[in-house]
Amino acid sequence: MLDPNALTHLKSTGEPMLTEPMLKQINSQIANQLNTGVLVIDDEFNIVMWNRFLQVHTDKATANIIGQSIFTIFPELPERWLTRKLTSVLQLNSPSFCSWQQRHHLFELPHTRPITTDSEFMAQNCTFLPIETDCAQKHICILIEDVTDVCHYQGQLQKTLEELAQMSRIDGLTQIYNRRHWQESLAQEYAKSRRHNKKLSLIMLDLDHFKLLNDNYGHQCGDMVLTEISALVSSLLRVEDTFGRYGGEEFAIILPETHLAGAMELGQRICTSIATASLNYNGVAIKVTVSLGVAELSDDDSRYEELITQADLALYQAKGQGRNKVCSAAFVTSFPLA
Amino acid sequence: MSEFHLTEDQQDCLQELINIAMGQASDQLARYLDTFVYLKVPSIESVDAKDLIQTLSQQQNTMAIVSQGFFGYEGIRGEALLAYQEEDSGRIADLLGYEPDELSQDEQLIDISSILTTTFLNVFARQIDNQMSYNAPKLLPMVQNSLLDHLQQMTFNWDVALKININYQVTDYSFNCNMILLIPETAILNIKKVLDRILADF
Repeated sequence: MLDPNALTHLKSTGEPMLTEPMLKQINSQIANQLNTGVLVIDDEFNIVMWNRFLQVHTDKATANIIGQSIFTIFPELPERWLTRKLTSVLQLNSPSFCSWQQRHHLFELPHTRPITTDSEFMAQNCTFLPIETDCAQKHICILIEDVTDVCHYQGQLQKTLEELAQMSRIDGLTQIYNRRHWQESLAQEYAKSRRHNKKLSLIMLDLDHFKLLNDNYGHQCGDMVLTEISALVSSLLRVEDTFGRYGGEEFAIILPETHLAGAMELGQRICTSIATASLNYNGVAIKVTVSLGVAELSDDDSRYEELITQADLALYQAKGQGRNKVCSAAFVTSFPLA
Repeated sequence: MSEFHLTEDQQDCLQELINIAMGQASDQLARYLDTFVYLKVPSIESVDAKDLIQTLSQQQNTMAIVSQGFFGYEGIRGEALLAYQEEDSGRIADLLGYEPDELSQDEQLIDISSILTTTFLNVFARQIDNQMSYNAPKLLPMVQNSLLDHLQQMTFNWDVALKININYQVTDYSFNCNMILLIPETAILNIKKVLDRILADF
């Protein structure tokens, strides 16, 4: 463990700085105080020695394990795989490694954070080192490092990153996709439908007289309606459809591989379901209706934004024709803003 | 020419040492893997940090890069990068003598990388009377084409590195990979000292 050259160094008094017995004592004390498991095996994989770390963590008496096969003492080890790995260390005379990221642990050892982490066994980084001694037989030193902490925090980090990614896609109030994610999805679906020459339709829907609802019943009622309508529409969609909150009370649905007639049918179903839904706010029954505009991607459209424009125009037409109805972009006759 | 560049003699000497090491390493690997391992004549050159990013990202279809640091006496140290392509790594488990379901794709790449790196560098170290230690090999995080992004996020604390590129081929298993040894500035000065000493002994 320490450089034996120190043995040749003399003090000013002529005494050696370090003697063989001192070196032995130092080495063994360090080995036994290491927070790393040290296990030495011979070329037949029988245990030659170990340090206190392993003795304590396995709760086995040293006398009972010396000379025993590593696979007898640690039956949890994957024998075939580890034999091949250990063979590479002996044959190539080079170290080998096993990280917790690939295998959480090799040895089933308890760890020091059983209360504050959820892992049953100590997460480990293991290193297999070839050892040469004066004896002709080769040995392997296995270092077992406790990385339960690293593993735990990495898991937490991963979970947090996933939550953040999810949050950045979701509208806080309605729990459906937000505008940004919805629009990214549309860009993707547009590219897909162009590449595979598939149909793509879009529904834009807007709550009728939403401002009036807010004015009469308060914004909390408005929020309740937005949430309920979102849930209701979600329940009517297929898994491949992408439903998002486009603006305040405006929503949008991407319908991949759907032609105009199919989108119109769905639009009508949504319109009817909402009109007949019984919403209730503080014991008062609330009646809500929506207007919908439907458009299908045409060969002329060169950008996905044009599909939004088409659906928007149809939506304006539905509003203009008295609300609570579905209009299709195919039948938009006049520019409603003109 | 900067202090980090090798003289012609130093370059020749290093080339010769590497050739010898490659011969012995391929012999050892062939015996362990029980198949022929071909190592192509290496290229040795100095690279700028910014050019390295360029070179690595130009390697088309790179599926994975495994990095392993090495360090020996006399300040000889560096990092080995092993670059794999999708089509060349389908049978690594088979090549290593494992059952395919015994280890994941990531572990296969890490395992073969470690074997190739340590076998070559151990032999090389012996040529220069040195001894290498290694840290655990790691798969560099990347998803498809984000290798460039990843490399650009790395800030190198060196401007010039000595780059040694060795190609490994195992035709029986249609295996092919590139080992890129990168030795940064201060370590180049140290390796130049070692090379000068060997040259002086001739």
